[in-house]
Parts: sequence; C-alpha cells; structure tokens
Amino acid sequence: MTLSFTLRSALRRASSLMFVGLLPLLNGGWIYGPQSTFETHGPVAKTQLDVFYVTLWVTMIIFVLVASVLAYATLRFRVRTGESANQPPPEQSHGNPLIELGLIVLSIAALVVIAVPTLRAIWYTYDVPEAERANAYEVTATGHQWWFKFEYPKEQIEGSGTLVTGNELVIPAGRPVRVNLRTVDVIHSFWVPKLAGKVDMMPNRGNHLWLKADEPGYFWGQCAEFCGESHAVMRFRVIALSESDFAAWVAQQKNPARTVPGTQIGATPTASPRVEFASYTYERQRPNAPGWSEGFSRSPFAAWQQKQQADAGESPELIAHGRKLFIEKKCAGCHSVRGHEGAGISGPDLTRVGARTTIAGGLLENTEQNLHRWLTEPNNVKPGNKMWFGGYVVRNNETGVWEQQFSINDDEARALVAYLHSLK
Amino acid sequence: MQAITKSDFIGKDAPVAEKRPLIFTRPTAKTGLVSWLTTVDHKRIGLLYGVSSLIFFLVGGFEALLIRVQLAVPNNTFLSAQAYNELFTMHATTMIFLAVMPLSAAFFNYIMPLQIGARDVAFPRLNGFAFWVFVVGAIILNVGWFVKSGAPDVGWFGYAPLTSTAYSNQFATDMSTDLWVMGLQVLGVSSIVGSLNFIVTIINLRAPGMTMMRLPVFTWMTLITAFLIVLSFPAITIALVALMMDRSFGTSFFEVSNGGLPILWQHLFWIFGHPEVYILILPAMGIISEILPTFSRKPLFGYPIIVFSGAVIGLLGFGVCRTTCSRQAWARWRPRHSRSRRWPSPCRPASRSSTGSAPCGTASCRCAHR
Repeated sequence: MTLSFTLRSALRRASSLMFVGLLPLLNGGWIYGPQSTFETHGPVAKTQLDVFYVTLWVTMIIFVLVASVLAYATLRFRVRTGESANQPPPEQSHGNPLIELGLIVLSIAALVVIAVPTLRAIWYTYDVPEAERANAYEVTATGHQWWFKFEYPKEQIEGSGTLVTGNELVIPAGRPVRVNLRTVDVIHSFWVPKLAGKVDMMPNRGNHLWLKADEPGYFWGQCAEFCGESHAVMRFRVIALSESDFAAWVAQQKNPARTVPGTQIGATPTASPRVEFASYTYERQRPNAPGWSEGFSRSPFAAWQQKQQADAGESPELIAHGRKLFIEKKCAGCHSVRGHEGAGISGPDLTRVGARTTIAGGLLENTEQNLHRWLTEPNNVKPGNKMWFGGYVVRNNETGVWEQQFSINDDEARALVAYLHSLK
Repeated sequence: MQAITKSDFIGKDAPVAEKRPLIFTRPTAKTGLVSWLTTVDHKRIGLLYGVSSLIFFLVGGFEALLIRVQLAVPNNTFLSAQAYNELFTMHATTMIFLAVMPLSAAFFNYIMPLQIGARDVAFPRLNGFAFWVFVVGAIILNVGWFVKSGAPDVGWFGYAPLTSTAYSNQFATDMSTDLWVMGLQVLGVSSIVGSLNFIVTIINLRAPGMTMMRLPVFTWMTLITAFLIVLSFPAITIALVALMMDRSFGTSFFEVSNGGLPILWQHLFWIFGHPEVYILILPAMGIISEILPTFSRKPLFGYPIIVFSGAVIGLLGFGVCRTTCSRQAWARWRPRHSRSRRWPSPCRPASRSSTGSAPCGTASCRCAHR
C-alpha cells in the first residue's frame, strides 16, 4: 500500500513538473528568431508554413481524440481502491465492422486533407508561377565546402564575365527570384528559413528553387544538408533591396574594385600598430543578452546599408601595404579582387568584401577584430576550412604531415584588414 | 536422464548416432558463462539481445548527452566540430542498429515462439549465429572510438560523395568510414539471417490449430517486420558494397568526377531507410496491441483490420521513399493544364545571345532540366 502511495505521489510530482516544463511553450516567444520558419517574409515560405499548419491541426485533432478516449477509458474503468481486482471480465467484443470501416474512411479523409494542400504547395514552390515568369530574376548559387558562391547570369561585365559575389545574396524585393542550385563538391542544401527552402545542391545534377521577399530586408540562410566538418557554420545572408536600390547596387557591383585615393603600391606604412591589436584575443559575445541577435546589436539591414559606405579614417599607406601583402601572402591564388589582383576562384570573390556584413561564410560579423582573427588564425575560427588547409598549411605528400607555408602576424593582418575593408 | 541432457538424444529406441566432429555437436553446457556463450535457446538468445540492446542504449544515450551539453549554450566549445560530427553519426547509428533493432529481436526471440506454440525457432544455431554476428558488427562500428582516425563522421545516412575517399581523407588519413561501411554490412547479415529464421518459424512451426488469422498480433508484426527486413536490407547492402568498391578499389558508383551518381546512393539508401522506420515501430505497435487487451481484459478490437493495416503499413513503407526523394517527380506529376513551359535556360539558343558566355556544356547545365 505504501509503495503504491509513494509511486502515486511520485507520478503526480512528475506530471506537475512536466506541466511546468511545458509552460514556456505557451509564451509564444520560442518560435521567433533570425532563422524561424514561423515568421515568413515571402509567398514560398508562407505556402510551406500553411502546409505545416494544416498537418499540425489534423494531427493535433487526432492526438487529442485518441488521447482523450484513452484517458477516459483508463480513468472510468480502472480498479478503484477497495474494489476487488478479481471482478468478472467486462463484456467481450471482437469488433464492429461499421466502426472499423469508419476509422479507415476517417484516416483516408485525414490523409486527403493533408495531401491536397501538400501537392498544391509542391507544384507552387517548384518553380516560378507562369504569370510571374516574365518578371523573374535569376541567380545561381553554388555550394562549396563551406561557403556559398552567388552568380548573376543576367549581369555580364565587359571583359570579366558574370557578376559574382560570395556568402551574401542581394536580390530585388517584390520580384520572384529563381535560384539555380549547383555544387562543386559534396551535397549542400540551400535554405533561407523566412523566404524559402530547402532544396539540395546535388553534384552532377541541376536543382533549383524560387523565392520572393515581400519587403526589403535582411535574412539569414544556412546550409541544411550535413556537408562535413564545418557544416554547422556554413551560413549565408540574403539581402532584399527595393527595385531602385537593387539597380543601383548592380551598377555599383559592375565597377572594378574600389581604389582608395592616394594609395601607392609598395609604400610602407608609417603608423604603428594599434595597441588593441597587438595582443588580440577573441572575446565571446555573451549569448542571449538583451538585444542579442547573431552578432548584431542593431537592425542588420541598417548595418548592411552602412557597410556600403566607405569607412572613416582610411589610411592610404596601410591600404597600399595590405594590397601588396594580398599578393605576397598568396591570397590572390584563391581569391580575386576584380580590377586589382587575383584571379582565383576556389575562394570567395573579394571584390566588395568590405561591404559585406559577414565573413568566414556568414559565420562572423565583418568587424576589424573578427577579420583580424580570421586572417591570423583561420583554423581556430572555422574547423577544416580550405584557407588554412591548402593555404596556410600544405600537406606533404610523402609524410602526410601538414606543413605551415606562411603565417600572418599582427602588423600584416592589420594592413590586410585595412585593405579588405576598403573594398566597398 | 543423463542421456536426455545430451543433445544428440533423439528417442529411446533410435539408433545411437555416430560420433560427430565437435563443431557439429549441439552445445550442452547448462550453466555458467560458457552456457551463455554457446546457447542456442531462443529465450536465452532473446535475453542476450535484450541486454546488449540496453548496453548500447546507454552508449547511444551518453552520446546524446554529450551532444545536448554542446548545444546547451550558443558558441559552446565543449566539443570540437569533428567530435560533434562523430557523436551525432554514432548516436543515430547506435540507436537504430544497436539499440532499437536488437530490442525488437529480443522480444521476437523470447516471445514469438511461445506465442505460436513452438519449441524454439526453426534454426536455433542460425539464431545464435545472427546474435554473434550482430555483436561483431557492433564492435566494428564502435572500434573507431579507440583508433586514431576517430569514429565514423559522415552522418547515419552517409550521403555520397561525403563518404568518398576524396572528402573523408581531406585533412587526415581516415578509416572511420570504412569501419562504418563494414559494420553496417555485418549488421545487415545478422538482420537478414535472423529475419529469415523468424519467417520460417512463423510459417512452419505453428502449433496445430494455430491458423494464420489466429496468430497473436505481436507475432503478425514480427512476421511483417521480418519481411520488411528481408526486402529492404539487400538495398543498403548493395549500396554499401558499391561504396566499399568506390573507397577501396577505385570504382566510380558515386564518384562524381568519373560520372558517378550521388543520388543513386540516396535512392538505394532510402529504399532501405523508409521501411526501416516501420521495422522500428511495428514491433512496438504489436507489443501495445498485446498489452492493451490484456489489461483491459477484452479481446483486441478489430483483429483482422489491425493485421491487415500492419501488412499495408509494411507495403506502403516502401512507398514513403518516393515522397522524400522525388520533389521533382511530384512536381512533374502535376495536372496537364497547369504544367508549365520549360524555364528559358541560358544554354538554349533562344536566350543564349542575351546572356553572353553562359556556362554551356557544363554538367550542371546539361542536367538542369532533366
């Protein structure tokens, strides 16, 4: 008897704990955030969310019905305290054809209720609707381990081919955008939770999706197919601009890289290194602090717009030195700055890297500190990245050991940061 | 009585059998460790399955615990990226192949022969063989934790081409994927052998009067699960053999640079992977269908419907694959009136002039509208 009482009170305590644990769910704040699919900003994501809700409601109704019947039967027909456990068995029945058939029909009906919107959504999200096709814009996204390359096949630049950017996709708002999905290595998946997603980038196969941003804005994206060591930090951003802003942006992008007036290649910097960079250590941002949102303390879209402007206090000598180092440190072998140096395509195009809000494949905010750290110790920022493996260190084919080719000290990193941040 | 405990005793009047080589004699130990190591008794093998499944449940749970600790706060540095990838790969593989499937096998072994009134399963030694092959496969899968290259880190679905030598040997020589391939192949042998045994048992060793439609529901679910295993495991075995050939002998089933098809892996994997979901859940449904009637002291409501829906679940399980893999196939299946014109592509003559140097002739361009 005592045993059953302790058991019962333990059960009661456990269920009340479970209820307390579920309370935060009622709060509602748990489904919002930079990568929430519950806050949609485009018709494709909206369609996908609607399908989710249809399925949720159907399954909720089934769950509630089954659970309440089960709870009713368990409570109503249980053996009560003081009752003998050896009562005669209840009335025996093997089934009822009508109820059984009815349950089958009901299940099929529930499936049809789910299937109709699902199929409609598949057809709708597969490609840009016929009516909007004339108005559609087209970009090509290519997955690399572990960053995204974005090409604009409609924007051809005289003498250097298609317009290319990396990790930040700028699209026109209010216009459908068809994204061709390619990959150069393993399978990646393109996912912008608030706009559309997700579709795999398959090797040897072309895939595509389409998305549309209702309003100008700044959206988070993420690779959604496990693709190796740094898959978790393979991110990107989508910036939707109004029609006129977008046209201005494209026109600006077509220009060769910006050269700060007064820079002479070969000039050595006179300024001494700033103290805070001399022994720089990375300080982790306190997560979940008030206003915290993945590295931005203010509106990310405003931050992006501000990034398009040249920084104050640029030092031409430092920038010139950085430009020289860009070649000396072999950056130009994998990256390219159109109009300056470099023709590499195995790393992201850096023609406008100073105007991006993020670096390292959408991982870090593009601040001086972060870029400095990314340049001096890339292996500690993003495990397995190809800038470190194959760039800074190269494998000796005979011994299999990775040997360091070069390193970047604080002074050099400061010059490189200045140069890269001058590329707006 | 002494004679009866000898396994070759087949009746009082039967001629004494010839002395057989040791390997063909039935193990006779009744107690101690040796009896557990050599047992072919279905209940004891069931217990062995149950105990090993609980051990691996703890292992997989510990792996999950490490994963959750890493995820407890943002930007955590508790685990390295590599260790995290190994943990989620091995957590999933352990829970599916080493915890839940052997748990089902434990119930199949222990309960199913009792339910159909059989003395044992049809092939008791094969039953013991299946268990010990399972143990070997489990060890091969987990041995990576103790070697330098680490545990498998390709995800439990092991999507090509991440499993190819080019990507798994990027930064260090790596044998973890080979271990994963070999472990799953060995586990597949165990599952198929065990399932054939159950199928033969249920079909041939039922007690007189135990017709198919009188079988307890749990035995029905055993039969359906066994058929699912026998039909779906060959697909992943073929895929794993192809992957092993790719990795060890330089073939190109999934090697993109030589024209291999990574999507072939996905199809082969999921034609196994989706029935696998029902391989895991059907035994549990069978158990519930036994427990509920017992404790409500009523016969099962609608026995034939439950049996047939179990069979239909098994059948449709193979169809689930099509819903996941083929977004394009579904999209193409749309009604004719809404089927749209093809997208004007840069590699079509009509639009080529407007886009200048389109990437024509590249693999991606050719496959784009297939």
